[in-house]
Amino acid sequence: MQAPFPGTRTDRLSVLVIVPCLNEGPVLRQTLVELLSLNLGVVVVDDGSSPPMRDFCRGLPVHLLRHSVNLGQGAALQTGMDYALGLGAEYLIHFDADGQHDPASIPRALEILRRGDTAVVLGSRFLNAEHTRAVPWLKRCILRGGIAVSWVFSGLWLTDTHNGFRGFTRAAAQQIHLTENGFSHATEILEQIHRAGLRYRELPTLVRYTDYSQRKGQSVANSVNLIVDLLLHKILR
Amino acid sequence: MTKIQFLLIGSLIAGAAGVWFALGTKLLDRLAMIALMATGIYFVALPDHTTAIAKFLGVGRGTDLLLYLSIITGSYAILLVYLRTRRLERKLTEHVRAMALHHAVPPVDQP
Repeated sequence: MQAPFPGTRTDRLSVLVIVPCLNEGPVLRQTLVELLSLNLGVVVVDDGSSPPMRDFCRGLPVHLLRHSVNLGQGAALQTGMDYALGLGAEYLIHFDADGQHDPASIPRALEILRRGDTAVVLGSRFLNAEHTRAVPWLKRCILRGGIAVSWVFSGLWLTDTHNGFRGFTRAAAQQIHLTENGFSHATEILEQIHRAGLRYRELPTLVRYTDYSQRKGQSVANSVNLIVDLLLHKILR
Repeated sequence: MTKIQFLLIGSLIAGAAGVWFALGTKLLDRLAMIALMATGIYFVALPDHTTAIAKFLGVGRGTDLLLYLSIITGSYAILLVYLRTRRLERKLTEHVRAMALHHAVPPVDQP
């Protein structure tokens, strides 16, 4: 089955790809150019980068939003979603700015969402042996542990967590209200999907581990911080 | 009265005065702080009483009792500060987000 690829003119209005970014280099522009080639709407949320990411977006037909101070990826995603919903988007996609996601995953996610029986599509690195092998082994171990942690906190047992690639229908996105500004939003999203009873499906996605995305990504030590954040969030809600 | 008692009581009074005059806190907060300071002065001025209270509560020495109490008070204070920071963070988030949405630049206006 051929996905609608590249998108039509109306896709620019109905499908908005939200790209949160913080101090990305030229790779941001590369990611945006790739996304725009799909003929979809792109919402860049600059999460207080210094210098601002404006220059990397110059001349590109993207929606540009900027947090005046750095709040965290969860906050950036929520701002992007609020904006996209305000524009009347029918489908919303979360996409990392550092070039680790494959834009080709988007048409596949849209195809599933458009069928109408799935409200949320979650990217997973571990549904496909080839994709799994692309993940460095230490990262693989930690992410496997993360699956269990996120099950405890959210009630969803998935094959991957903290994969920044997600797709939502409009109705599903309206159910998501992120209050965790930091990286624990990944678990918070799952918790809210579970609570709202949204139908979700995992989509095999390739994560391209470049030196750049590795450096930008979450460090191993940070996973401990994440668990503490989640605990505090649960207790002090 | 020993030198250390002078020093401790002096710091406690200075602290109480600081809270009363410098921080524009609520009356209830001020009174609670003053009560805490007064208790502190009492413990410093009359160490024998501290030991008596400790014995009554089943703690060996007055010093130990004070240590336990200060750990509890300290943790409580940290928790309060943490909660306040969270509230502030939430307000900041709302504000920054509203600004970002207000100043959003759609594709046609891109330089």
